[in-house]
Amino acid sequence: MSFDTVAVIGGGPAGLRAAHGVAEIGGKVLLLEQRDFLGGTPIAERYAGLTPHGEPARPQIEAMIAAVTAHQDVDVRTGTVMTAVDGEPGAFTLTLRGQEGEQRAECGAIIIATGFSHFDPGRETQMYGYYEFPDVITLSDLEGMLSDHQVVRPSNGQPPQRVCFIQCVGSRDRHIGNEYCSKVCCGVASKEAIEVRQLLPDSKVYIFYIDMRMYGYWENQIYWPAQEKHHVQYVKGIISEVLGKGDRLLVRGEDTTMGRPMELEMDLVVLSVGMEASPGTRQTAVMCGAAQNKYGFVDAVGSPLDTVSTSRDGVFACGAALGPADLEDSVSSGAAAAMKAFAFLRSRAAAAAG
Amino acid sequence: MTQPDAAYKARDVTGYADVPAETKEHLFEQVKADPRYADYLYGCYECGICVAVCPSARFYDFSPRRIAQAAAREDVDLIYQQMQEDIWECSQCFSCVRCPRGNNPGGIITIMREVAINNGLASAKEALVGYSRIIYKIMSTGTQVSPDMLQQDAFPDWGPETADVSANLDLWRRALPPETLHTTSTGWKVADSTLIELYLIWLHTGALDMISGVDPSLHAILQEVMEERLEEEGIEP
Repeated sequence: MSFDTVAVIGGGPAGLRAAHGVAEIGGKVLLLEQRDFLGGTPIAERYAGLTPHGEPARPQIEAMIAAVTAHQDVDVRTGTVMTAVDGEPGAFTLTLRGQEGEQRAECGAIIIATGFSHFDPGRETQMYGYYEFPDVITLSDLEGMLSDHQVVRPSNGQPPQRVCFIQCVGSRDRHIGNEYCSKVCCGVASKEAIEVRQLLPDSKVYIFYIDMRMYGYWENQIYWPAQEKHHVQYVKGIISEVLGKGDRLLVRGEDTTMGRPMELEMDLVVLSVGMEASPGTRQTAVMCGAAQNKYGFVDAVGSPLDTVSTSRDGVFACGAALGPADLEDSVSSGAAAAMKAFAFLRSRAAAAAG
Repeated sequence: MTQPDAAYKARDVTGYADVPAETKEHLFEQVKADPRYADYLYGCYECGICVAVCPSARFYDFSPRRIAQAAAREDVDLIYQQMQEDIWECSQCFSCVRCPRGNNPGGIITIMREVAINNGLASAKEALVGYSRIIYKIMSTGTQVSPDMLQQDAFPDWGPETADVSANLDLWRRALPPETLHTTSTGWKVADSTLIELYLIWLHTGALDMISGVDPSLHAILQEVMEERLEEEGIEP
């Protein structure tokens, strides 16, 4: 390892794309991943189908992993965290802690690809009774069930007849401090709603929303089929509370476009939890000296036209470390970061050569 | 829709009798079974453009959006309420096909009206009571309002000339250049073959049967007229 290496921190879709990108254009890569496996959140949280097309997640991500691990110029270190960054742009020294204890590594540029965490529906504030009712779950909990092709009520193991998604949980909320939109939850919830309807054709599936944000092709790839082909019920109005009623759940809200309050019984309530900066993103940004926005995500200082440069020279970021991002955006910024980091090393080398 | 949804519904708000949930479901099943239905309802954005362009919405508490929404949600309680009230406030102008999703709320209403008529709903009887003469005219002659219906007592707002026109109706009509308009009891001359064809259409498509539930005596008269005529032609209806 030496200063002609790009260190990529995080082995999720964005980091994998960045690492592969650097290697593809002839650079050397040190890929660090704190988990014992590559693939990031889609693998860790057992995503069923990838949004928007819904093709199985695991084989798709495994193909990305294989491309990276097979490349001779990528040094993959799983189960490894970075604990310190010293040196200067073009000549960083990283302190790593992994299976073989503490180590040091050199690199010329760093790509932060440390991703996001799903919003936790409130151990303290008990949003929608997530920690009270077993049949209140999150989008990622449902992904796991869909991966097993078995959607059941955790309380009794029976398939649910009535399922609802509550959008914007942990997003667009001044009280929580996350004023931003998490971008992907409308599409992911709709994708999962389609998958539930396919698995349980007799079920009734509702999505309660503030406004649906299915930009671009997601409109006709997900939203229209969910409504028109799979008869998912979209109701504009957010649920205020979830209550127990017998062995079911009662959700309360307003059917705003029909102009009436509603109380509906559900068997399974899915919280469309948003994205927050992961602990790894927050810690890595601090170590690298890259400025963060008020939500803890890495600041893309050159936006909108430069989406991957940070406040620190030689440090770039990609994927959901920059803020809520879907897979398409994540791998796109991963490739952009690879190009920027490689160009940074080339320009340093050229300057040094005079 | 299953029982839990019923909790928030206002019931029997306008005086018509409530009916069991199975009846409402059965009515909606008939609407959905119509072959046109799939082309009239895709999905609803609830954007309200259909209401914005709807002339009836300016004058009544009527919303084509609510028609599309109720159908999309398969909300049989609300659909029943709409079949008893809202659908008769539509002028069937089809401005609402402006829908970005390609929905046709007016078309859904057409189907709902047909189902309401076929099932003899109170609203259908009430809505059609003023139209028995028109229905009689259309189905017996194939033309709608005929010149001899324009009597002064029926149309006082048309002014004093109405009396003069109706007194010399035959003369006025013969003054019109097209010979096909030299008629008083029909809107225009209808060829025998056309009338026979129309009668067969009314009978075979069930169009005549539709009115048996809302106006049995009118139905009986029309049936007699048609069958008598077809018999004269030697056609087995």
